[in-house]
Amino acid sequence: MLTYNLRLAWHSVKRNPMLTALIVTGIALGVGVATPALTTIHVLGQDPIPQRSGVLHYVRMDSWDPAVPYPGRGGIPTQITYRDMREIMKSRIPVRQTADFQAALYVYPGDRRQRPSRETVRMAFSDFFPMFDVPLRYGSGWDKAADAKPEAVVVINDDLNIRLFGGGNSVGRIVRIADRDFRVVGVLAPWRPRTLFYDPTNSGGQPESIFMPFNWIEPMEIRSNGQRDGWKSMEGNPTYVERLHGSETVFLQMWVDLPDPTRARAYHEFLDAYVREQKKFGRFQRPLDNRVTSLSSLLAEWQAVGPIFKAIATISVLFLIVASLNLIGLFLGKFLARAPVVGIRRALGASRASIFLQHLIECELVGLIGGALGLLISVGVLSLLNKGSERLTHRPDLFQLDVTMVLAAFLLSLAAGAIAGIYPAWRICSIPPAQHLKNQ
Amino acid sequence: MLKMENVTKLYRTGLVETRALRDFSLVVEEGEFVTITGPSGSGKTTFLNVAGLLDAFEEGKYWLDGLDVSRHTDRDMSRIRNEKIGFIFQSFNLIPDLNVFDNVDVPLRYRRLPAKERRERIERAVAQVGLTSRLRHFPSQLSGGQQQRVAIARVLAGDPKLILADEPTGNLDSGMAREIMDLLDEINHGGATVVMVTHNSEYAARAHRRLHIADGRLVDLERITPLPLNRLTGEARQAAVPAG
Repeated sequence: MLTYNLRLAWHSVKRNPMLTALIVTGIALGVGVATPALTTIHVLGQDPIPQRSGVLHYVRMDSWDPAVPYPGRGGIPTQITYRDMREIMKSRIPVRQTADFQAALYVYPGDRRQRPSRETVRMAFSDFFPMFDVPLRYGSGWDKAADAKPEAVVVINDDLNIRLFGGGNSVGRIVRIADRDFRVVGVLAPWRPRTLFYDPTNSGGQPESIFMPFNWIEPMEIRSNGQRDGWKSMEGNPTYVERLHGSETVFLQMWVDLPDPTRARAYHEFLDAYVREQKKFGRFQRPLDNRVTSLSSLLAEWQAVGPIFKAIATISVLFLIVASLNLIGLFLGKFLARAPVVGIRRALGASRASIFLQHLIECELVGLIGGALGLLISVGVLSLLNKGSERLTHRPDLFQLDVTMVLAAFLLSLAAGAIAGIYPAWRICSIPPAQHLKNQ
Repeated sequence: MLKMENVTKLYRTGLVETRALRDFSLVVEEGEFVTITGPSGSGKTTFLNVAGLLDAFEEGKYWLDGLDVSRHTDRDMSRIRNEKIGFIFQSFNLIPDLNVFDNVDVPLRYRRLPAKERRERIERAVAQVGLTSRLRHFPSQLSGGQQQRVAIARVLAGDPKLILADEPTGNLDSGMAREIMDLLDEINHGGATVVMVTHNSEYAARAHRRLHIADGRLVDLERITPLPLNRLTGEARQAAVPAG
């Protein structure tokens, strides 16, 4: 019966092309507005690393000014100091851990005719790669020995690999960064996460070109290229390394891998004990507030999807509903004009339910045609959105329709068809058949 | 086949109440050919609508093929209409954007018959009314007589026990009308009960019985020809008496 009803629906769609076009346009506009808005929420709210977001934990400690609370979101510093990082990295509770930050260094190509380029560098420990499931095309990350020494090794991304070496397996090749030569131990596969989820201070960016052992920070005096917050100046004229070890400036992101609640609890207690100890030396004068937050909770806490996006999505869905409500009259007129045929069908044995279903299927068919057109509109709107947001997101293709969103558009079309069609279908099936036939 | 007892049908328009059928009682036996005559507005079409379960009635009882159909769900009524009743209308009532095949197919679709059986029934019925060559024609491509024959084919394909015909010759010239009457006779001889509303006294006279309705009541009943013995049930011998 479904194919029969679809055939009837298709006949009806073709019979009134102008009216059908009008209804289809209404639904297409509704879907074309609602789908991009929902796609934005979907993309921004998506868990970037669902298989690990429950075990990856971000560490924060309130080392801020005793007189004034930290002004940023959450009320405590988003990052930690170098000196605290050095101490808490001694803990053996986490299965893996890394502190990291973004720097920017010059890379000198082997071919002297090429100009040096300033590249973004992620200073991190070796655990960074397995912790964040970093995809490597060639080679691997470095090991703990390379962390400790530190060894002159780097992992480069696919883009830099092409620019420096023309692509291919460049493991073992040398790249000159600042004033030193580094051996490439790994080359990333193309990696374009929707947000820079491992750096909560820089969520709009893209993964760096180079990944370098963290401990080069001191010998190369590498400074952060990202967010740095400080509240206390150091006296005298300290050297860079002295500043690192003595400063209250927070610039490091600290991640720990805590696979179960017991470890998470133990690590939290460890941090509390550390801060209590530090308080004895006059540091951490604010109330004890250490936070060990899983990545999934962090995304929720920082509202990856801002209220403005949610408001836009709500309005766009309301727009679709209003557009669908406006189509009720058109469907009703269309159906009532066909009342005599409904009367014939009723006389020949069609029940109210089958007449209702037949007309609802027609509405859904029109809804789906509108939805297909709406999807095309959505692609256009998303392309404009990508162009408009590229400067912020550094990605020309951040907002894209995936299977989920195509499915969502499909459901929206069905919903629009149902909203527009349920009442007219009910009206046409509720009229007694004798009354329909009288209209003949 | 059809038995009504004191059926009353009301139409309400605002405060005005019209009794289209008043204490209407009638028995039509299986295999009978009954014609109904009466002036316009007398309740003939209302009777057909009630008899065909196209309209509800307020009071009384109605049995169709031994089944009390006075109060049923819409689904049951639709099933009974589909399986037991065939309609032939004055204005043919074919669906304009379906071809002959698909028009005849409509009641069979609602009966959910398998495709092969539907095809066989349709081809047989259309052949019976002599329109095999027009199977893919649309109603607008057929003459009035041909359209009425398609409507009859639609009835034949469903093989109903009761055929309700509302002035089936009303829109046809006399030649065509006679052809349609011959077809109805043929169907009746095949065993189906036929109840036909007509204004034409010649065609009314071709029935076994002629009933006359006036002002929503059955006022006269005339036995024209006896019902063939092989189709006469015991109950049929008790004369159907007009109510009141």
